[in-house]
Amino acid sequence: MNGYNFAYLDEQTKRMIRRALLKAVAIPGYQVPFGGREMPMPYGWGTGGVQVTASILGADDILKVIDQGADDTTNAVSIRHFFQRVAGVETTTSTATADVIQTRHRIPETPLRNGQILVFQVPIPEPLRFIEPSEQETRMMHALEEYGVMHVKLYEDIARYGHIATTYAYPVKVDGRYVMDPSPIPKFDNPKLDGNPALMLFGAGREKRLYAIPPYTRVESLDFEDHPFEVQTWEHTCALCGSDHSYLDEVITDDKGGRMFVCSDTDYCQTRRGEVA
Amino acid sequence: MERGMTVKPEMTTGLVWSALADPAHDSQRLFRQILAALSEPGTLHAIAVAEPPQARLGAALWGALLTLCDLETKIWIAADLDSPPLREALTFHTGARITNDPANADFALLTPESFDPDIPFALGSDSYPDRSTTLLVAVERLENIEGWRLSGPGIAESRMLDIGDGSRALMTRLAANRASFPCGLDAIFGCGGQLAAIPRSTRIDSTRIDGANAGEVN
Repeated sequence: MNGYNFAYLDEQTKRMIRRALLKAVAIPGYQVPFGGREMPMPYGWGTGGVQVTASILGADDILKVIDQGADDTTNAVSIRHFFQRVAGVETTTSTATADVIQTRHRIPETPLRNGQILVFQVPIPEPLRFIEPSEQETRMMHALEEYGVMHVKLYEDIARYGHIATTYAYPVKVDGRYVMDPSPIPKFDNPKLDGNPALMLFGAGREKRLYAIPPYTRVESLDFEDHPFEVQTWEHTCALCGSDHSYLDEVITDDKGGRMFVCSDTDYCQTRRGEVA
Repeated sequence: MERGMTVKPEMTTGLVWSALADPAHDSQRLFRQILAALSEPGTLHAIAVAEPPQARLGAALWGALLTLCDLETKIWIAADLDSPPLREALTFHTGARITNDPANADFALLTPESFDPDIPFALGSDSYPDRSTTLLVAVERLENIEGWRLSGPGIAESRMLDIGDGSRALMTRLAANRASFPCGLDAIFGCGGQLAAIPRSTRIDSTRIDGANAGEVN
């Protein structure tokens, strides 16, 4: 372990984060301030998620790290290597095998099971921030449950485009109380937040906030009666596995306009192809 | 000291209050159990920690104290659990400060009998509901049987929990959390080596139809 405490953070820091996590699960959707530490990676690379993972990870846990659904992109590879080195934990790319999954901007397609923990990397934890820049004001709005302005923002989408044009970081209401930013996951993943059997923890390193959705918690995406919440759909199926129900990435294949649509969740796609073959 | 200590020093002096054998890994394992207990209210978790000399406190709560407390936390102790050896052991092993002011406490150690709704524990504020006291309650029973019906976040439909007789005042107070949400008290229960929890997000109904616990308390 070359001179580091297990999982990099010192025990004092872990206890501080752990106490904050207990408050976060007790008040679903509420952003708990915590003493975020400098991590050996820049802000924006998942320092919040890494601190949460470091505080919960045990020697027996099997860790999976994904970035936009993929196990083999830079962010996922570097964070996975980080924990292999400082915690010596076993890692996997299989969603079903993992105990702890740290994710950047996706929820795996394979349904999560009870006992798993999904750790989200969050850039801007405050869903009202782009409407109200003052932290004091947004904190007051949460305290007063004053969320009308969020519906105004969605309404402005409808007035301008004829539909709600927000496609990622789509705001949700947790257990009927707190409006929460689910991190920049596509709104395609929002329905998976509702009643999920897994525990979901969110960490924002630069903004120093933690929040949580316990298992089996009611999570609604904000909408209007005449403009109900809808997820993205595709005319294509995955060019690799043929899936017609997963989130697809458009990939440019040449400089003549060639393109293909493939599953963003690499583990899901590979598993399906293994089954098909 | 204003509050009398009912645990006599000779009952525990000279006995060993064990620390965690492997602090980093033991506290991680215990924390995950406490996290699971709070994120799935009413579930029971077996805590593998050496029993403290003060039997009523129990291994589960002693393990929780060792896992969660350090020099940044303040602990309030009810008279029926208070003892000089406990104070000494807590200070020695965790560095936590003992406080006589419940409104200032991060954690409060008590029993259902010593719980009094008039004790002014911190409930947090509407802006910072996290600045509240977490109750660590030594109970006489922890079983998933008729007693109290829990529902809400962390519970698929509903879950039964019984924490023993004489818990009505405490459970009525925890049921009232819903009305003051997001402010409120989170409770972690210990019974010997068993641990369970009820956070403030949980809805609580009584399932007893006998006199004392009749009707909904919510």
